[in-house]
Amino acid sequence: MSTPRPIYLDHQATTPVDPRVVAEMLPYFTEHFGNAASRQHPYGWKADEAVDTARQRVARLLGARAKEIVFTSGATEAIALALRGAVAARRDRGRHVVTVATEHKAGLETCAQLARDGCRVTVLPVGRDGLVDVDRLAAALTPDTVLVSVMAANNEIGVLQPLPAIAAACRARGVWLHTDAVQAAGHVPFDVEALGVDLASISAHKMYGPKGVGALYVRRSPKVTLEPQTVGGGQEQGLRAGTVNVPAVVGFGAAAVLARDGMPAESARVGALRDRLLDGLTRAVTGLVVNGSRTARLPHNLHVSFPGVDGEALMTSLADDVAVSSGSACASGSREPSHVMTALGVGPGEQWGALRFGLGRGTTAPDIDAAVNCVAASVGRLRAMSPVVAGVRG
Amino acid sequence: MAGMYSDAVRLRCRDPRRAGSWPDGTRDVGTGDRGSLESGAWAQVQVHVVGATGLIDDARFRVFGCSAAVASASYVADAVVGVAARASGLPDADAVADALALPADKRAMAALATEAVRAAVADWEVRAGLGTRVSGLEGR
Repeated sequence: MSTPRPIYLDHQATTPVDPRVVAEMLPYFTEHFGNAASRQHPYGWKADEAVDTARQRVARLLGARAKEIVFTSGATEAIALALRGAVAARRDRGRHVVTVATEHKAGLETCAQLARDGCRVTVLPVGRDGLVDVDRLAAALTPDTVLVSVMAANNEIGVLQPLPAIAAACRARGVWLHTDAVQAAGHVPFDVEALGVDLASISAHKMYGPKGVGALYVRRSPKVTLEPQTVGGGQEQGLRAGTVNVPAVVGFGAAAVLARDGMPAESARVGALRDRLLDGLTRAVTGLVVNGSRTARLPHNLHVSFPGVDGEALMTSLADDVAVSSGSACASGSREPSHVMTALGVGPGEQWGALRFGLGRGTTAPDIDAAVNCVAASVGRLRAMSPVVAGVRG
Repeated sequence: MAGMYSDAVRLRCRDPRRAGSWPDGTRDVGTGDRGSLESGAWAQVQVHVVGATGLIDDARFRVFGCSAAVASASYVADAVVGVAARASGLPDADAVADALALPADKRAMAALATEAVRAAVADWEVRAGLGTRVSGLEGR
């Protein structure tokens, strides 16, 4: 039986909403439409009860307590609340933030905004494997450092940062640690206690939940205090004003349960498929380069470069057969290299042929084999007209 | 048009008509290229001109770059076949960009391809003893 086309291998961009999640959400669009903040009548009580249940479910996924979960409109908002909220709350301690060059733009651009507002921001480099040097990070901490923000798993190359060691270094100096756990939570074990993080941003749509809802974990013990970034309503323990998106939050809770229950088997399954993909591509395409650590990596991520071809042209060539993502953007004939690949020390010429494969629950072995064949054919077609492979430079 | 590119661009990325090249020094062939690998876009167009008629009877291209670069080079190589090399019928960048419905920030790729074909014709003219090299329009 042939697999549906295009084969979806972009699960790090987003995931389909699990039908079981949809089923749990649907009543909250219709009969249980109440506002969770309406304390005066059963419509509100029902909605509030559903939000509480979802909060417990999301907390359980992270090894947290329900009161430590703040629902947001997504991870970008959660990251902004964590970074801006922590800096504002700790202004008496200092104005120094440490982050890493490979962070998601949601984190980096918030840090840039903080810098414009007078903060001192240290952006640490990574090695060729994409990992931050913990000793270097520890050395960057100063008495006025209020926050460190490091991704749990990178959204492009999928590498897993050494959070426990980073957390230990931070805690020893009284520095709060925020992590963007969007790509990790629900896919690999992510326990805030075991990891020692103080703040963690997550998103539902990366784990088969709906788009438009995320959460920020805010540690209660030892207590982390944030200054709210939206006010006027008092929702979410006063940290995020605005009517709670009840159906989406319910869906987030349902997705969290499914992710937690299925994680051991699913991570092993997609990890094996990822290895099958790498083996197949390595056999079929000469010169393939894996970007980032091969071991400290999400099981469902593969990020590879195909020298001699342009990743964007490769994606278009593949678009009817395989849906993947390229790490770099191109505009006006000039290129904007991926900041992640640049941080790895990969030059623009090398990184233009990079693709990210994100496997997911629906991915099967026949999908992988078909994808290998399609990618190999497209790379061959593009390489046949490439001056790089022919050794001719323009 | 679904996504960033038109069906015309997508089709040429899947089936890049006239991709390839003739070896250096092939008789009646002019070669021109524009762009650079460093900038992320490079296109080479070759034209084969029938000396007796001055008509381009075949063309080939090679390219490194985004989908717009691939499609533009393929389109231009198609479009010049049957055109008199020394007449004014060579495709212009706007026409190519319009035909492929290139996004505004990709129209430069059409210019890259059309400049490469003009350089190819100039190269053929020099090789055929019909012209002299002009700075900025050299072929290979």
